[in-house]
Amino acid sequence: MSGWRAHGMRAWLMQRLTAVYVALFFVSMLLLFVLHPFADYASWRQFMSMPVVNIATVFFFLGLIYHAWVGLRDVVIDYISQFTLRMITLMVVTLSLIALGIWAFMVLVTVVAL
Amino acid sequence: MPIHKQTMRFSIYRFNPETDSSPQMQEYVLENVERGMMLRDALLRIKSIDESFSFRHSCGEGVCGSDALNINGRNGLACITPLAELSEPVEVRPLPGMPVIRDLVVDMSQFYHHYRAVKPYLIVHDPEPETEYLQTPQERDRLDGLYECILCGCCTTSCPSFWWNPDKFRGPAALLQAYRFLADSRDQATAERLEDLDGPYRMFRCHTIMNCVNVCPKGLNPSKAIHGIKKMMLKEMV
Repeated sequence: MSGWRAHGMRAWLMQRLTAVYVALFFVSMLLLFVLHPFADYASWRQFMSMPVVNIATVFFFLGLIYHAWVGLRDVVIDYISQFTLRMITLMVVTLSLIALGIWAFMVLVTVVAL
Repeated sequence: MPIHKQTMRFSIYRFNPETDSSPQMQEYVLENVERGMMLRDALLRIKSIDESFSFRHSCGEGVCGSDALNINGRNGLACITPLAELSEPVEVRPLPGMPVIRDLVVDMSQFYHHYRAVKPYLIVHDPEPETEYLQTPQERDRLDGLYECILCGCCTTSCPSFWWNPDKFRGPAALLQAYRFLADSRDQATAERLEDLDGPYRMFRCHTIMNCVNVCPKGLNPSKAIHGIKKMMLKEMV
């Protein structure tokens, strides 16, 4: 099985798995920021450049983007019935999410680089 | 609970494609409505007053599934819907989301197409045994809540996912039947059946809205069946 047909069970499962990771990451980051607020930009930057934190954040954005893609794809398939318009919207959604992912990745790389 | 009513008002969807440009609701008033009458009895009386009115019905006791209708906004079988439980005027419309042939009669072709597509019969690859196929009582129990479906179409035509993608989404009735054969210990086409249902459309349009469970006149649970298929798919994947 390949292509479009494979995006049934796999997408459904990944949406659930990414939901768990994104929720855990978000809550733990929120707790961290509330319990140990960073004094300044430099200390935040130092924290974010720790490999564990940096890689965990990369996975957070990957998970968030994949999760959002499955959700938005479902909304588009349900509500846009005209086929060409459906495909164009799906393409725009996919490309925008990829662009957001690249942007997030670039930011995280810059943090580590310095 | 049943209140004895002498007269009762009805508002019925009427459409004759040969003479009408658009459908309209027609009012009828029935006299001498008796205690214990079902909606089907009332529709038959209306038919005797106005013979141009059409609706499907057959067994009259909730077994054949012919008289599935939208009754006061909710899908159900006219023959097992007591008039005493309905508020007036009783609004009767054809099943939602289906092409209307005439009045309350809809074209069920798409519904049957999806039913046929799930291969609703046992598939066995081994050579036919000389004796009958045996099942343990436990294996037989797994078919309870699945085999009772009468294919009336109440569930599928109340499902928003079916309204949105009627050509691609199989719908709750067909998926319940798919699970009826996936759950059967005698069936040997599990992998093929599961592969056929994968993809974003055929089963995964289901968002567990559960209108199907809400309206099923036989009290079945298509959402649970769909969950069962997902669990089998997950096992097959791992």
